[in-house]
Amino acid sequence: MEIGKNKWFFLSFAAVLVLLYLMSSTDLIIHEKKVEVYPVSVIVSESTDEDYEKLRKGMDRAAEEFHVDLSFITLYEANDQEQQTSLVAREIADGARAVILMPANPREAGIQLDDMILNSPMVVLGEVFPNEQVTAGIAIDYAEAGKLLGQAVMENPPDIPVYLISEGLEYGYAQEIYDGIRSVLEETDYQMNLRVLESADDCRRLIESTVYPESGCAAMIALDEKSLETAAGIIRDSSVYGEHIAGLYGIGGTTRVLNDMDQGIIRGMVVHNWFDEGYLSIEKAVEAIQGVGGIKEQITMDAYYITKENLRDEAYEKMLYPID
Amino acid sequence: MGNRKMQTGWFLAAALALAALCVLGLGQCGSREQRAEKNSIRLGILLYRGDDTFVGTLRQSLEEQAKRYEKETGIKVVLNIEDAKENQNTQNTQAERLISLGYDALCVNIVDRSMASTIIANAMAADVPVVFFNREPVEEDLQLWEKLYYVGADAKESAVLQGNLVVDKYQQDPSSIDLNGDGKVNYVLLEGETSHQDSLIRTEWSIQTLMDGGVPLEKLTGGIANWERNQASALTEQWLTQFPGEIELIISNNDDMALGALDAMERLNIMDKINVVGIDGTPAGMQALEEGALLGTVQSDRTEYAHAIFTIAAAMALEEKPEEKLTLSDGKYYWSRQVPVKRE
Repeated sequence: MEIGKNKWFFLSFAAVLVLLYLMSSTDLIIHEKKVEVYPVSVIVSESTDEDYEKLRKGMDRAAEEFHVDLSFITLYEANDQEQQTSLVAREIADGARAVILMPANPREAGIQLDDMILNSPMVVLGEVFPNEQVTAGIAIDYAEAGKLLGQAVMENPPDIPVYLISEGLEYGYAQEIYDGIRSVLEETDYQMNLRVLESADDCRRLIESTVYPESGCAAMIALDEKSLETAAGIIRDSSVYGEHIAGLYGIGGTTRVLNDMDQGIIRGMVVHNWFDEGYLSIEKAVEAIQGVGGIKEQITMDAYYITKENLRDEAYEKMLYPID
Repeated sequence: MGNRKMQTGWFLAAALALAALCVLGLGQCGSREQRAEKNSIRLGILLYRGDDTFVGTLRQSLEEQAKRYEKETGIKVVLNIEDAKENQNTQNTQAERLISLGYDALCVNIVDRSMASTIIANAMAADVPVVFFNREPVEEDLQLWEKLYYVGADAKESAVLQGNLVVDKYQQDPSSIDLNGDGKVNYVLLEGETSHQDSLIRTEWSIQTLMDGGVPLEKLTGGIANWERNQASALTEQWLTQFPGEIELIISNNDDMALGALDAMERLNIMDKINVVGIDGTPAGMQALEEGALLGTVQSDRTEYAHAIFTIAAAMALEEKPEEKLTLSDGKYYWSRQVPVKRE
């Protein structure tokens, strides 16, 4: 009798153990809710992702919340639109459920993508394209940003030349920024000189030209972040150039240019909330994957003009130095 | 009856063996199929601190390597580069996330070399190979699994090369190092993190080489500047004020700290008087050398360094043998070449 009891006790103990094992280690009894992970590719216009720290922080945060497996794709050569378009096709063929694109050459990208059949939705970090799979565009109003820079440069006397420097108006949204600046300065006595920089040496030569005895000071506005970084770097490394550049302005927000502003090398800069832009892009991509929303939309981010004096204001500090 | 029982037993054993064979066979077929089909690899690059100059140059080289490989082989490479900002817990979470997302291999620049076991355990459980680089985990951890590798520069070699730079100059012209001609060389020492293996070895062997080379050393002071330019600059400024006109040589465990020392000298307007030596051969260090501010440095071949990290990780991701592509010591270590570079 005693043996029988023990036998039953051990049998039920073993059964409980098996049950507990099944409950904890398998889906046999308690079905764990399967989380769908969405592979999303982000294709930027540069050959390195180093400068997208804030954008990525926002994307990473959203990726965790929306269960997104993010692949950050850079180009072999910066600003190569053809390669970027072929990467869009490759990523979609490789299973990306959505693509987030920062177009290298927005006009060219618009034309190239118009001919393509996209099997996954796309969100543009810029202005939305006509292709029906492009569901959203997220960007600041670049013409408005140009106006802010045009107004800022007017703190300098009108008799000094204003150099507008860029890698080329076709890249990024330099054309829109240029148009914005022109709309402000055209009606004034300020003389604008557009200079397309093919290399850092072009920029050095331009800055150097202000040092010659017959030439005076000049103001500079960089129409893209790379040109701003290049100009700031050249001025930073020289004890002379800074005295001849009355003010360097531009659009940007990398840690490098923010440090340059802190050190007084950059006078003023148009910035926006990259963290929010990154977060929003993932959110919109997931909505498009899930078929929520449906209407093509253009989201305009706020642009702010900041100087060394208000760089450390709480609102800007939170935006420019987001905590992980 | 007994015979029947035995028959049933044999039958069951045979069925089990057959099932096991089937599972094994299918698994192998699957992996073979996977290998044949694999046209993309995903590598996670985990950095201890993204703004470290040397690590930054390695990151750039890794990106270049990945692009070159993609172009040459047609195999797509996705790199996910994460910055732990000197926090081991953050790095553990980053590794865990990449492993759960099915990354093929991790390249880890570990924050705390004595705390690699968490990442290793997670990687082992998911069968994700790990290539540690620049910051070497303790040997016991590296021996835990055959799919763990380390790529670095031999710290002793760097130190000996650095020491020899000074020894050579001293032997050519003692007054170029013993600036006040009192028969001894007063030096200060800038050291990296105490927890980093290279820091201790570089310090020990650099001094040893100088002594072996007949340089009459006299240590004034030394301090830990954690590889950082700003910290080194602050320390050097303090020493220059504390020992005015006495410091003849500044030995730094890396280029960034050597540059920090030069910053301090520039602030106090005492350039061209004190010899400064570094290690790493970073772009900024090489520029200082060209400008004549730095006496010498030991340059790591960063292209080769990054190539080794990438090659091992890519090989493991494609289930190939890294030892067939690179020469590894003890089957898991790769030591990158270094060359001394001095001011002409």
